[in-house]
Amino acid sequence: MKLLTALDVLKQRLPEGGPVREVFLACGFTPIHLQTFLAAHLQLYFPTERIEITTGVYGDLVGNLERLQPAATRLSALCVVIEWSDLDPRLGIRNLGGWDVSDIPDVLESLHQHSQRLCQAIERFCGTVPISISMPTLPIPPLFISPLHQQHHHELQLREAVASMAASLSRNQGIRIVSSQRLDELSPALQRFDVKAEILSGFPYSLDHASTLAELLAATIRNAPPRKGLITDLDGTLWSGILGEAGVDGICWEMDGRAHIHGLYQQFLASLASAGVLIAVASRNDEALVEQALSRKDMLLKRDSLFPLEVHWGLKSESVRRILRTWNIGPDAVVFVDDSPMEVAEVHEAFPEMDCIVFPNNNYQAFWDLMRRLRNSFGKSTVSIEDSIRLQSIRTVAAIGQSLQDAEGRADEFLKNAEASIVFSLGRDVHDSRALELINKTNQFNLNGKRFSESDWIGYLNEPGAFLLTANYEDKYGPLGKVSVLIGRDNGSLLTVDGWAMSCRAFSRRIEYQILRYLFDVFRFEEIIFEYRKTDRNGPLQGFFARLLQRPPDSVVRISNRCFSQRAPSLYHRVEDTLRHGA
Amino acid sequence: MELDSRLVRCFASVFPDLTTEQIKQASGKTVPTWDSLAAVTLIAVVEQEFGIDVNPLDLGDLNSYSAMKDYLRHRLNGRMSERSNP
Repeated sequence: MKLLTALDVLKQRLPEGGPVREVFLACGFTPIHLQTFLAAHLQLYFPTERIEITTGVYGDLVGNLERLQPAATRLSALCVVIEWSDLDPRLGIRNLGGWDVSDIPDVLESLHQHSQRLCQAIERFCGTVPISISMPTLPIPPLFISPLHQQHHHELQLREAVASMAASLSRNQGIRIVSSQRLDELSPALQRFDVKAEILSGFPYSLDHASTLAELLAATIRNAPPRKGLITDLDGTLWSGILGEAGVDGICWEMDGRAHIHGLYQQFLASLASAGVLIAVASRNDEALVEQALSRKDMLLKRDSLFPLEVHWGLKSESVRRILRTWNIGPDAVVFVDDSPMEVAEVHEAFPEMDCIVFPNNNYQAFWDLMRRLRNSFGKSTVSIEDSIRLQSIRTVAAIGQSLQDAEGRADEFLKNAEASIVFSLGRDVHDSRALELINKTNQFNLNGKRFSESDWIGYLNEPGAFLLTANYEDKYGPLGKVSVLIGRDNGSLLTVDGWAMSCRAFSRRIEYQILRYLFDVFRFEEIIFEYRKTDRNGPLQGFFARLLQRPPDSVVRISNRCFSQRAPSLYHRVEDTLRHGA
Repeated sequence: MELDSRLVRCFASVFPDLTTEQIKQASGKTVPTWDSLAAVTLIAVVEQEFGIDVNPLDLGDLNSYSAMKDYLRHRLNGRMSERSNP
């Protein structure tokens, strides 16, 4: 982005009074153009919010952070941009502190001390605001005695200290470090440092580098949710060859068959599956043959990782539709990969929101790009428990879905025999990303459709009296993981529920009733107030309230313990309660 | 003509409240928001827009629209004549 464009983006500022996204940009240099670019990139990511970027004073990165009080801020994000001179001023060019050979050990010592203080200053904000950090991006000045083509051990020690600092910071939940590899790809090292701007105005970055760095910082602040599922073709994609012609032993994915990229693709999909990404198959093929092929012992992507399999001679878009129904996710959360441009076009026409990609047969570079693109689409910071059981839980739901339908009228008997257990967790864990995801993704059983940004979520849970209740469900058919999240406030005389969502995978198990019983039992209020709002899609929740109230719900729903006790159905879950944290 | 409109656009991005006519009369003395920060931003925008690197010794003179325009005309003509030399 050019500076002119960034300024133009910011000229279209939204009127005051609307939602504001306030970001503190902490750096030790004059923030000027980086601030402009960061604001512009954030404005493009969040077009309905007014972007406000505040900064500190020149030359005091640690002090800027230390003066900022975590509890007193309503920041949406904290952005920390570190350069070498923040770790010791002698590693910049605006100070003349000495580059004698004898000074270097002291520079190293000072860097260690500064980095420790900086880590402490940053970690104070963990749990109060999302933090994005850029580690030093500029070249180290030529202060070492070795020629440019040779790394001196002092330089390696400096880099080791900074890498160690980044690794230590990144272990904190809520801290995201800008990828130096991605920055290297987008911003050539030699074109980053603007010596003139640094000396004249204290701004060390070339405009191109400032824009690129701001874009990556904005992307880490945005923290877009990853896609959830990938639907893959088989012939010419998961393996080389046509199964129906070559037979089970004729298809291949090894180097000697010039099919190595198919092996890499399998390995990559196995990696995605292990991180909780759903993988399904949509293939025009013979089902029995496919089962044999997928059972080959040398397959790198195991048969168990694939669900469901849509193998027939019908339209691919119909296969995709059925897979989406089984997974119960929208097309915008899915990637479709097939080596046939025609099939890709057919699916894309049916699902324009889906990322539909032609598998690049025989183009190794394009395949490399495909793997990177997929990693970006499915990228996440951590693998949650829900990620690890997602596939199993979907299989379970599909398997017992019919049983639940068949049990219509005999629901009590079915649920009684399900050996169901619910584990409640009451607290205010701001880092529970699954809870935030449930609130933001769930539509059908959602109290009011209200969505939360990461910072709003943290801000809410840090309010006095606020609590977060989550429910993990398991029955004899398998675990469903964290299926419900509820947030509310206990002000001593009133219990108000501001948000409540439950995964539709958990419907028909009376979990919602057990949650209400838990609230009455634990908080001991005679009445609970729900900040309910009817939405186009929260019909199941409306039905739940209507059954308890025996009338359609109003804008604010009040349910008394007496009413609940009289109208709730029998509950058969075994209930466990984990430790409560500060609620 | 093209130089004029491109330079006006640069000024408009830094001083969004000024009209085109006001921009053409603008100087550090007549525009209250023309502070050191605006001056640095303006020079950076102009350098990027016109693909030039302003000599630090010239910066002090570039304190009005007309001075900037004269400077650019000189620099860009110079570049064209440099290009035409074998």
